[in-house]
Amino acid sequence: MVADTDDALFAVRAAEGDEDAFAVLVQRHAPALIRLATSLLGTAAEAEDAVQDAFLSAWRRLPEFQGRSAFGTWMYRIVTNRCLNVLRSRRPVASLEAADDVPAAEHTTSPARIAEGRGAVRELREALDLLSAEQRACWVLRELDGRSYEFVADAVGISQEAVRARVFRARRSLTQALGAWR
Amino acid sequence: MTDRTDPPNNASAQADDELLPCGRLLSRTWDDWERQTDDPHLRSCPHCRQAVHGLDDLESVVRGLREETDSSAAGYDTEPLTRRIMDVVRLELRPGRPLPLGEPAEDLWIMEAVAARALRAAAETVPGVRAGSCRLRDGGDGGGDDGTVEVRLDIHAPADAPLPELAARVRERVWEAADRELGMGVTAVDIRVTDLVPSSMPDDQEGGTA
Repeated sequence: MVADTDDALFAVRAAEGDEDAFAVLVQRHAPALIRLATSLLGTAAEAEDAVQDAFLSAWRRLPEFQGRSAFGTWMYRIVTNRCLNVLRSRRPVASLEAADDVPAAEHTTSPARIAEGRGAVRELREALDLLSAEQRACWVLRELDGRSYEFVADAVGISQEAVRARVFRARRSLTQALGAWR
Repeated sequence: MTDRTDPPNNASAQADDELLPCGRLLSRTWDDWERQTDDPHLRSCPHCRQAVHGLDDLESVVRGLREETDSSAAGYDTEPLTRRIMDVVRLELRPGRPLPLGEPAEDLWIMEAVAARALRAAAETVPGVRAGSCRLRDGGDGGGDDGTVEVRLDIHAPADAPLPELAARVRERVWEAADRELGMGVTAVDIRVTDLVPSSMPDDQEGGTA
């Protein structure tokens, strides 16, 4: 709460052209936003580009921001939308090619151990690439980032009902993909 | 609205839902799982349990992915990214208007954003005060161009401070800074208290987290 109040002050200063105040906001929020973008996009390089673009867009839009929401929430929304655009512009990934990279499971490990292992995580990453942009965004925000349906609906800009439908479809695809692996 | 890839939402989850052999929809069973509903059917029905088992398996892999993401995020150095962003920001500065300094004949100016930064810093020399918006308008009667400016400053004040005295001190510091540091002719300093903040902050946290 104190951090939010503080953010609001720095956001107002930045809106009035104080770039040092903006630098404080960048440093403060970049780690969480990089984490979010990496989850959404899957690669660190793309995540950095998305977060950089989002901050530059924020700098340009700050004079109209008026502090209607917390700065962090505003940035979260901008990064989510930036990542959604990146996901939408991606060409569908050929899943067969990617499947070759999965190392053979060790025969001695139990299924449960495999499920927690890196092989399964890699398989999950690849299965995420097969989701639609919206499914992926909703699923990542809900499941990986632990946000409420209400929050996700606001960040993605669709209804809660639509978010639930996408998370459901994503879960179906992902459980099927992981089931097929085992 | 932002949805270009997916089919229209009117069918919601039902469109590709699955009816389990027990007569329940997969979406409902998963929904109950997510809400941690205590439903005897869920515990006893083999079909529902199998359906939930799939989600549990997914969840355990998700945990692994979350840990990987956490550990790579923990070692992330924001310095290079911040530098790249600020390099571009500094090419797109919004310095505001030039404001007159000194005597009218001197033809000396300062950009509004630069002056505002100095005045905010001056206001924050009063313990517990944080400065927000700082607007500078042409002073003089009717906002004429007589080389003076009016300052309107928003502050967050410590909740336990007597506000009139606090405002007077802030006004004094702002006035001094405008006069001595900048050489700016200020005709008025309007202070607006926009928030009261708990003053339990430790003293060593001077000037906030900046």
